[in-house]
Amino acid sequence: MADPVLAQNLEKVYKGNVHAVNGVDIQVHEGELYGFLGPNGAGKTTTVQMLTGNLRITKGTATVAGLDVAKNPLKVKERIGLVFQEGTADPDLTGRENLELAAALFRVPLRETKSTINGLLERLQIADAAERLVKTYSGGMRRRLELAVGIIHSPSVLFLDEPTLGLDPQGRAGFWKYVLQLRTDRKMTVFVTTHYLDEADEMCDRISIIDHGKIVATGTPSELKDKLGGDIVTVRPVSKTGPEVETLLRGLPGVTAVTMADGAFRVKVQKGEELIPHLVDACTRAGVALAGVSLKRPSLDEVFLEFTGREFREDEGMNATDRAVRMGQVQQAFGRARR
Amino acid sequence: MIRELGALTRRELKRLARNPQAIATSLMIPILYLLLFGQAFDIGAAFPNTPAGHAELLVTLRGAPTYFSYFSAGMVGFVAVTATLFVGANVIFDRLFGVLKRTAASPATATSIFGARLLAGMLQPVGLAFLVLGLAVLVGHLGLSGLQITASFSIIGIGEIVLAILILSAMFASLFLAIGFSIEQPQSYFAVVNAINLPVLLTSAALFPWGLMPAWFKDVASYNPITLAVSVIRENLFAGASGYYPYGPAIYLGGLAAWAIAMFILATFLARRALAPRA
Repeated sequence: MADPVLAQNLEKVYKGNVHAVNGVDIQVHEGELYGFLGPNGAGKTTTVQMLTGNLRITKGTATVAGLDVAKNPLKVKERIGLVFQEGTADPDLTGRENLELAAALFRVPLRETKSTINGLLERLQIADAAERLVKTYSGGMRRRLELAVGIIHSPSVLFLDEPTLGLDPQGRAGFWKYVLQLRTDRKMTVFVTTHYLDEADEMCDRISIIDHGKIVATGTPSELKDKLGGDIVTVRPVSKTGPEVETLLRGLPGVTAVTMADGAFRVKVQKGEELIPHLVDACTRAGVALAGVSLKRPSLDEVFLEFTGREFREDEGMNATDRAVRMGQVQQAFGRARR
Repeated sequence: MIRELGALTRRELKRLARNPQAIATSLMIPILYLLLFGQAFDIGAAFPNTPAGHAELLVTLRGAPTYFSYFSAGMVGFVAVTATLFVGANVIFDRLFGVLKRTAASPATATSIFGARLLAGMLQPVGLAFLVLGLAVLVGHLGLSGLQITASFSIIGIGEIVLAILILSAMFASLFLAIGFSIEQPQSYFAVVNAINLPVLLTSAALFPWGLMPAWFKDVASYNPITLAVSVIRENLFAGASGYYPYGPAIYLGGLAAWAIAMFILATFLARRALAPRA
């Protein structure tokens, strides 16, 4: 069977020749939980908006649920579910009324509407609040209602765009519990964007990392972590950061690579805990005073650093669209100033 | 499409019904005008209490027996403006709260999304207009000037009044939806709407006695959509009023429909543009 999400050389260029998404290839297999990972502003939401027919594709092709998105945006919307990162439920309607509206918009057969809604309300544990206005809901309840709206028509592909943004750890865990249950029960393909690395590591079958509009790595979480080649020992000297320290670190037993980032050396080694005594001893003998040494097991944070050359930051503020629009505005302003 | 149109229209009407402040604001200005302007400008007192004086007053007020009666009919029409204002504002709030994004991401067509808002915008003012009409009659029983309906009851007459309010509401709902789909900030929306409302009201025959208007004002007011709707209402409320109007209600309804169609075309264009996948 064809892959439910297939994108080739996908590009989004905004005014001012700003590339928010730049030549992205995506292939999601049927039934897969696929994570699209990257910091704010990397191009995740822009990609999702293009794949779901809500944003025009500048270049490239996207096939979702068996249909060309550019040619059949409405048909694609019928076949997919989409949970936005922000709340989209009507705060002046009750939970049940929001679901009734969604059922009508997503063409759930009339005879199935009531049982579908009751089933979802029970399943997502919002039945007790079903007759309350949504503006009285807690953040976690709202997210569960958003999920219910997204899956009311039993879509074959579910897109979750930063679905747990702003939830506390308990809320996040609860949300994922429902997603995993639904995925198993309904055999849905799930495409999720997130900048919570731990979430992606734990939940996703496969992950792509996007940065500055380009995919820099794809694989299962284990494959990506294996690419790191072992543990990372971060060495932060008090003052000396020259090549002599790098040479010293490279000469230690088991070290496979040494790189420099943010005033610290990242030392790759199979067993970090065995290296540290040797490392401290060697530095002391060489007169290199250390401000700190830390050991990190392979994680997606390290994977991100490995493939992008910088730390994963969750607080970059603007999403890709905002960033692109802002950059376009700045460029236009410069253009006007030059004229 | 009918199902989604029905569901979206129900949603709009529920939201309007659950927002008593919006209903109060819609009614506040027409009622305030009724109770202040309508009572204060009793121009009937300026006409001699003679048959000739009465005849002159009837000409001035185009068949209405008192200024308050004339003015009340104007306010019944003006409710269509104040009540439809929130239909456009709701587009902006729906955009801010993400509701519009959700609807646009569904398979619902732009026609349904726009059409539901237009339908709700047409239906709500009818009830409010009859509320103002009832209130205008009621104040006459409280020792104040009241609306005196001198025409005899007629189903066709009521039908024409309802139709006039529906078409006027459709026209203003389209206009406000056009603005709502084009403007993102609520402050800007209300600034633009206020800049439109008052001039439209002041250049109509809703407030000013027809017979006292200068000729140039009459020319302007004749084409004003509120004047067209109010003319239909007055012709049906006041006995013999038709004799003071150059055309029957059908012509005024036709003129009003032309306004409504023009605004509808503008609004559908802007709504489709706003709801299409973003560039």
